[in-house]
Amino acid sequence: MLLSFLNPWFWLGALVAAAPIWLHLRRRRETNLMEFTALRFLDDQPEPRRSPLRLRDLLLFMLRVLALLALVAAFAWPYLRSANTAPVKESRVYILDNTLSHQANDGFTRDRDRVLSEIAKGASDIQMAVIELTSAPRVVVSFGESREAARQKLKALEPSFQRGSYLAAFRQANSLLGNSLGDQKHIILLGDNQENQWNEHVDTPAFLRNVQVDLPKITTLALPNLSLSEPRVQRIFLGDKSLVNFTVKLGHAGEAKTANIVLRANEQVIFNRAVELENQPETILLQAQWDADPAAWLRGEVTVDGTPDALAGDNRVFFSLPPVIEGKVALLAQSPYLRLALSPEVMRGQWATRMLDPTKLAAELAGNEDADVLVVESNYLQSGDARKLLWRYVTNGRGAVVLVNRVTPSISGCLRELGFEAEGTVTSEKASAERFQFVYSNHPIFHPFLSPDYGSLMDVKVFKHVQLKGSQAMPLIFSEKGAGLFFQGTKFPGKLFVAAFGMDREHTSWPIDQTFVPFLDLTLQTARAEDPTPTTFEPGEISKIQLPVGSAVKEVVLRDERRVLSRAPLEQGRTQVRMPEKPGVYMLTYDDGTQVEKMFSVNPSPKESQLAYVDAPDALKVWRMNLPAATAKSAGAASRGKLSLSGILQQRWWWWMVMGGLAALMMEMALADARRERV
Amino acid sequence: MPTATQTLSERFDPKMLAALEGLDFKARYVMEGFLSGLHDSPFHGFSVEFSDYRNYQPGDDLRHLDWRLYARSDRLCIKRYMQETNARFYVVCDTSASMKYQGRAAWGSKLECAKVLTAALTWFLLKQNDAAGMVTLNGESEVPEFIRPSQRPNQFGLMLRQLESLRATGGASLSRLLQQTVRLVHRRSVILFFSDLLEPSEEVAMGFKQLRFHGHEVIIFQVLDRDETEFPFTESRLFEDVETGVRRMVTPAAARESYLARFNAFMDAHRELFRNLEMTHCVVRTDENPWRALAMFLAERKRLK
Repeated sequence: MLLSFLNPWFWLGALVAAAPIWLHLRRRRETNLMEFTALRFLDDQPEPRRSPLRLRDLLLFMLRVLALLALVAAFAWPYLRSANTAPVKESRVYILDNTLSHQANDGFTRDRDRVLSEIAKGASDIQMAVIELTSAPRVVVSFGESREAARQKLKALEPSFQRGSYLAAFRQANSLLGNSLGDQKHIILLGDNQENQWNEHVDTPAFLRNVQVDLPKITTLALPNLSLSEPRVQRIFLGDKSLVNFTVKLGHAGEAKTANIVLRANEQVIFNRAVELENQPETILLQAQWDADPAAWLRGEVTVDGTPDALAGDNRVFFSLPPVIEGKVALLAQSPYLRLALSPEVMRGQWATRMLDPTKLAAELAGNEDADVLVVESNYLQSGDARKLLWRYVTNGRGAVVLVNRVTPSISGCLRELGFEAEGTVTSEKASAERFQFVYSNHPIFHPFLSPDYGSLMDVKVFKHVQLKGSQAMPLIFSEKGAGLFFQGTKFPGKLFVAAFGMDREHTSWPIDQTFVPFLDLTLQTARAEDPTPTTFEPGEISKIQLPVGSAVKEVVLRDERRVLSRAPLEQGRTQVRMPEKPGVYMLTYDDGTQVEKMFSVNPSPKESQLAYVDAPDALKVWRMNLPAATAKSAGAASRGKLSLSGILQQRWWWWMVMGGLAALMMEMALADARRERV
Repeated sequence: MPTATQTLSERFDPKMLAALEGLDFKARYVMEGFLSGLHDSPFHGFSVEFSDYRNYQPGDDLRHLDWRLYARSDRLCIKRYMQETNARFYVVCDTSASMKYQGRAAWGSKLECAKVLTAALTWFLLKQNDAAGMVTLNGESEVPEFIRPSQRPNQFGLMLRQLESLRATGGASLSRLLQQTVRLVHRRSVILFFSDLLEPSEEVAMGFKQLRFHGHEVIIFQVLDRDETEFPFTESRLFEDVETGVRRMVTPAAARESYLARFNAFMDAHRELFRNLEMTHCVVRTDENPWRALAMFLAERKRLK
């Protein structure tokens, strides 16, 4: 056994021992000395002998030096090195990738078995921990757990459909290793090295210090896969018909030539046929329409089947759609087309329209019975009451559609308040009328028009329009000449849509186009205040539920077809619900009721379907700290022999040194007091 | 409190002198006590001398009429007197380290004694309209502190402040002081030299000779302590020289005889030197009444006149 020191440089403090040495060696002031002036007459007298330097009060001196040296030694942190005080040679953290992508070719099961095997045969001087990489990485097995407990926990792990973060998992592993006992730190990633996972965090500052990282060896850079993602479903009304417009993305990578698509909605097969994949882009947008009862919930799923397909977990997506609730429209417009399109004959069951009397706007303002959406032509905005009414709609979170058919100074001022600048009117000949050139097709209003069934927006002509510039608005339609024709305002909490032209024959041909009524319906649906709760989630995601103020509901219940999955009590009308791990359609009910209040569709992240891999990720190089610091630390560890830091810290030699030093000080004080009294 | 019947020695109270704060008070105490104890006022002796006559004018003090001349010549004449102001006095005070010594019987250190005497004499000289100046070396400084002789009223305060600032520090400085005095004092003057003369050096004797050669009248006040003149110690002790730091282990019983013999030889040699140089040599002991030195000074001043 060898005595060693954790902080040997603290021995420099031993220099303070010079103080007692000096104190005990210095000459005392002569008490028998007399200063005299006429010593020249005494120069025949003998010179005094100088006594040699010697330590006085040897016992006091030794006690003082002992106290100082003991305290210095305590700060230097002594410890004993011996063979049986080296319990941990290596600390090892396994990151077990349990994301959906790692289900490809049964990767998760294979890696879980590998961890089980290594835990079973691991040496006693290696401590192991396991982190499961899911949406939120969690420690499955910590360093202190027994091997049998670790084995049980690992066996209980099931493949998940979630997407996780490599960065979060590595951070957690690094944190575990920071408090580990082993001299060697080791992170072993048991995953698929998915490329998009590594590329997500290449800008992260370095944080891995003195840690060895083992990545899986990949055998191929990509795997074939068929996947479905991003299902979107909307209701559209065409005359008396209530339609459902559905789109989904089909991704295919690899050699699959055909894929069979099956679409089911409310237990009915809507679509079941093969799709040719050859010579098609990697992502194909599939679209379907069918009649559906607007008053009932719609739920469904789409599946894809084909070969080769390495990952089956992304072959199915779910969707849901709430029933239509009739909305209210307040109309302040002269356009006969608008009046007709919003009449009960056209919009029955969807929109109830109330025509506002321009002469009774004051009463409307006082009545405070606002509709969901206000549709107003700009020539009415010359009236102060109309402006107040519009202002009230957009500031109270309700929707408004403004059709700019006329511009006057007062209308320009009103538009400026809404975030728009009117810069004159552009009039074109019938033959050279403006057409739509760019339409924001991913916007909820225009997304259904990707289907040719609703007609083509490119056929719409605009003869006269106001040049609008939106400082706080997003253009959704541009003309061929680049003029913005339709905008969504972003200034107000309520949704505001502004068209640069009126809906009459003088301005545009749109009212007589077949796209007009669907457009109007979709615009009103989008402008209407939405339920703030989203309905599509990824597995394990948290949904925040907020009920109206004054609601008597005490708890919300998440359930599937057969059973209750979770209950969440409400506090001040708010709560959080964690979505299930598996994809599917789930329902939310209140208290003990069975009426479905909301329906959630849970689908895996489309990124998990990208089965492209990387062998030497750049992100890992960025995460590592410079080697010299690590080398220095490992050298320091080597100098401590095989004893771990925790082993050193567990030894209490420093404590006994402190006690010894204090005891020596107390004895010194007692001895010095005794001598003083004797003197 | 001194009374008229007391002897000079009885009038002097060393404790009272030591308790007085400030050199000004000490000087006045010494000088006024000295003057009140004298039977013959110095003002009637030499301070005012007859000059000539002038005719009497109504209003003149009749005490100054020369009645003898009136008897001889029947003329009323008034005697005129002339105050003498020609003498210049320099006070030279040694501040070597040995001057700070104060024995058990002394009322002050040698330097303090020298300061009191200096202040008293200065006060007296200025009172007599003599010009007084000063040459000192303060501490280790090579540059002397020089006060030009003057009879102005504020001269006393000036010299007093200089005396107050004197400190006996450093090593031997007597020979340097003498050299500086020789260098600074050009016109024939009276030099009052205060020192213990305990600096064995040929240069000291040479300095006094140079002063004499330049025609200065020198009055030497050798300030000594009783311990130095009588060596009254009894216990064996380690003696350390205040100027050189030399140490000797001394057993007084055995060393006294030798010490006194050598000390007396030293004093005799100085007396011989000063006699040859026609300098007045006065030994002042710090445990004795300083009036003795003052009386000797007055007698010597009379001689000089």
